[in-house]
Amino acid sequence: MSLVLVTILLPIVAGALLFAFPREDRMLSRAIGTLIAGATFAMLLASGTREWSFHWLSRPFQAAFHFGATPISFWIALLLAICSACAIAVSRVPRTRDFIALMLMLEGTMLGLFLARDLLVFALFWDLMLVPVFFVLIGWGEHPATAWRYFIYNFAGGLTLLLATAAFGVIYGSTDVIGRAGAQLAGGWAPWIYAGFAFAFLVKTPVWPLHTWMPPTYSGLPSPMVAVVSAVQSKAGLYGFLGIALTLLPAYVHEYALPLMILGAISLIYGAVIALVQTDAKRVVAYSSLSHLGLIVLAIASGNRIALEGALVYIIAHGLFSAALFLVLGYVEEREDTRMLPRLCGLGSKNPRLAGALCIAALAALGLPGLAGFVGELVILIGVYQAGYVWPVIVALVAIVLASAYMLRLYQDIMNGPPVADVPVRSDLTWLEGLAVAPLLAALLIVGVYPAPLLHP
Amino acid sequence: MMPFTSADWAAILPVGVVAVAGLAVLIVDLFSGRRELRYLLIGIGLAGVIAAGVLAARQFGHNFDAFFGGFMTGGFTTVFEEIILIAAAGSLILYATGGPAQRIAGASSIMLWSACGAMLMAGAANLLMIFLGLELLSLGLYALCATADRKTARESALKYLILSSTATGFLLFGAALLFGATGSVMLSAFVNPSLVGNPLFWAGSGMFLIGLVFKLSLVPFHTWTPDVFEGAPLPVTAFMSVATKAGALAVFARFIYAALPGGIGEKLLLPVWVVAGISMIVGNVGMLAQHDLKRLLGYSGIAQVGYILVALAGTTPLGLRYAVYYLAAYAFMNLGAFAVAAAISGEGEEGSQLSSYHGLGRRRPWLAAAMTIFLLALAGLPPTAGFLGKILILATGVASGYLALAALLIVGTAISLYAYAKVIRLMYERPEGERVHDFRPFVPLAWASVGICAVALIAMAFYPLTPSNVLPLVH
Repeated sequence: MSLVLVTILLPIVAGALLFAFPREDRMLSRAIGTLIAGATFAMLLASGTREWSFHWLSRPFQAAFHFGATPISFWIALLLAICSACAIAVSRVPRTRDFIALMLMLEGTMLGLFLARDLLVFALFWDLMLVPVFFVLIGWGEHPATAWRYFIYNFAGGLTLLLATAAFGVIYGSTDVIGRAGAQLAGGWAPWIYAGFAFAFLVKTPVWPLHTWMPPTYSGLPSPMVAVVSAVQSKAGLYGFLGIALTLLPAYVHEYALPLMILGAISLIYGAVIALVQTDAKRVVAYSSLSHLGLIVLAIASGNRIALEGALVYIIAHGLFSAALFLVLGYVEEREDTRMLPRLCGLGSKNPRLAGALCIAALAALGLPGLAGFVGELVILIGVYQAGYVWPVIVALVAIVLASAYMLRLYQDIMNGPPVADVPVRSDLTWLEGLAVAPLLAALLIVGVYPAPLLHP
Repeated sequence: MMPFTSADWAAILPVGVVAVAGLAVLIVDLFSGRRELRYLLIGIGLAGVIAAGVLAARQFGHNFDAFFGGFMTGGFTTVFEEIILIAAAGSLILYATGGPAQRIAGASSIMLWSACGAMLMAGAANLLMIFLGLELLSLGLYALCATADRKTARESALKYLILSSTATGFLLFGAALLFGATGSVMLSAFVNPSLVGNPLFWAGSGMFLIGLVFKLSLVPFHTWTPDVFEGAPLPVTAFMSVATKAGALAVFARFIYAALPGGIGEKLLLPVWVVAGISMIVGNVGMLAQHDLKRLLGYSGIAQVGYILVALAGTTPLGLRYAVYYLAAYAFMNLGAFAVAAAISGEGEEGSQLSSYHGLGRRRPWLAAAMTIFLLALAGLPPTAGFLGKILILATGVASGYLALAALLIVGTAISLYAYAKVIRLMYERPEGERVHDFRPFVPLAWASVGICAVALIAMAFYPLTPSNVLPLVH
């Protein structure tokens, strides 16, 4: 058994065992979950870019259970492990044990996705990672209909991915190609295969107009899970472009760059404008995600090397600040029983630590220099401009200005102003709550100051 | 008249063992008096099925044309026989969960004899043997459908009898025309280039295929499926859903792979592929509005056969292997789902009502988890054999150029997801003041069957499929 395989299997198996765990003990479940997620993080660091492979199919094409981090996926997997550990540590929801079991399974299936070196395995985990979220939406979500929308949209994407994978396998003869130099496909069916991949990736990211599953899902999920889903699961599509489409079918990414760029630009502006007028705090962050990820789509569409390096930085940055934002909004919601901005007011004066955490996360989201978001945005914009696209840069700058507006509005509505008189004063962040967002905020600062390892993967 | 040799009899020994087991069940029941011998009866039946399974497995790779070519043994026959035997075993076990003991004796022996019919179809290589197997299978099923004390059961039996007889009529008429065109009942005699221009052969094959398409419950001959499935007792539905399909698919596959003269296949079979494509949509759309598990799985079966036919569409050896792989997976998914239904059913078969699954996730988490696996497999989601099966079928469909079918498969799957996920949601949803079904405690045999099916589905998904593992099936 290789370390890579153990890293993927540990959360999945531990999650399954946790279901069977006889005692419904909140503290114990959280402790076990955090421990497993922490162990996964350590093993991920230890395994580095080691690989493991086991033969699966030889007809109609070669396929193998082949796992191992590529320079891109290594960072995303680390992001996943950090976010999962932090989110699990503060999972205070009813039926904690089952919830944490599902969180662990989500972590394991997504690890499988990012570490997969075989397209078929990638497609397998793509579908598999939908299942835990679906279950949480059913059992813990606010509206059952959300579960459908989430599942059906993403599964439709999963199906085109599957068809494209099958076609790729038949034509190329093997699906064991992720991260393999020289494995490229061109001509004949290749544009269609690219279309199948692109559809799945764009639904998952999401971009306008395929985003309608996203706001209800993000606002309906409990905070710990939405932190992981928005931080990492939404990156599956972008990773798909960076790690798969751009290496296997680069010609078509370039050929169809314009539609991709238009979709990215619309998402950028559309997400920012809608975020500006939302009254539900979680939806503000959800639409801001749509906007921010549109920027990464721009970077991918430009195909410029610098922009792509910036895309990876921004993937990590967005993961960190959106996880932090959702966790902090979860804290707010737990304290005030609401996350409607008009009903929230003046929490900051009584809860300085809560306000500080939200402040750093929001500043990272609006691209303050010194924090990771700024580096990503800057490098992407330089790259896109260098590639000769001027209008997308202008669109992105507008969206970034809007980002300041909605993020500051979010902070102001929650923290500033006079405290609401009839709301009892709740406690500030506990040490555990603080500890759960601290790694995310610290990482934002570190990447913001020293992004070099991410920029030259 | 040439005498049959012992080798001929050895070829149908597995069929014989199952038939004798059916007889033994009846005889033991005759002497049981008033005692309740439910488990003994089922045990005898299962022993017969397992013995037959071992005997059939020993014939694997030993190609032999018994009865002057009427019944062929070898890889193909063995694989289909095993699937039919799995269906028989899985359905017999369900009798352990309910129903009066006296009726179980009669029903399980008829079921075993029906299985004999399906097994004969698996090895049949001439028109008479095909007809014999089909009738043995169907006659048993007509009786089995009526073995529940409710009006819908009698309706189910009657409906099945009338419609299925009509289809058999088509098949028989087609067979007669084929005989007229070729002067032979042997499938191998049809591989004759001079037949391409013979209208009698075209008409005969067409009618023969219509008969088969009915048995496969493809559109437009599918309307009987949900009604018959709903009315029939749970074990019978479980058996029927797998064994009929396996038998009919065996005949269909042998017919299109080994009995068509070159150049005729593409034109003759085109309507079948069209029908398969439509079935994938109609079956999956039909599932959406169902409130009854048996009806749901009836519609699902219509679509699943469509998927299997996508694999066969290119008439490649590889396609046949994947069709068989998917069929085996389908057997486990279906039998597993029916076993869960049986495990939560009392006398009244509440397990067939989808509303009974409300709260199952809380009250019987293991059953709910297994049911989730079966539903995910039916939808073609990982980590189950349904996922691998589907991707193999897609790959074969794409490789042999049937892209429209592959696309329809994708669309159909997307539609079906809603129906399957609805059941999953029902099981895990927070019950809001609604009455939660009073689940039965532990039903050992049904739970064992559920467990075996779930493990088999997951194991099949990860089993490496190398050429030496996916064994040659056609000779």
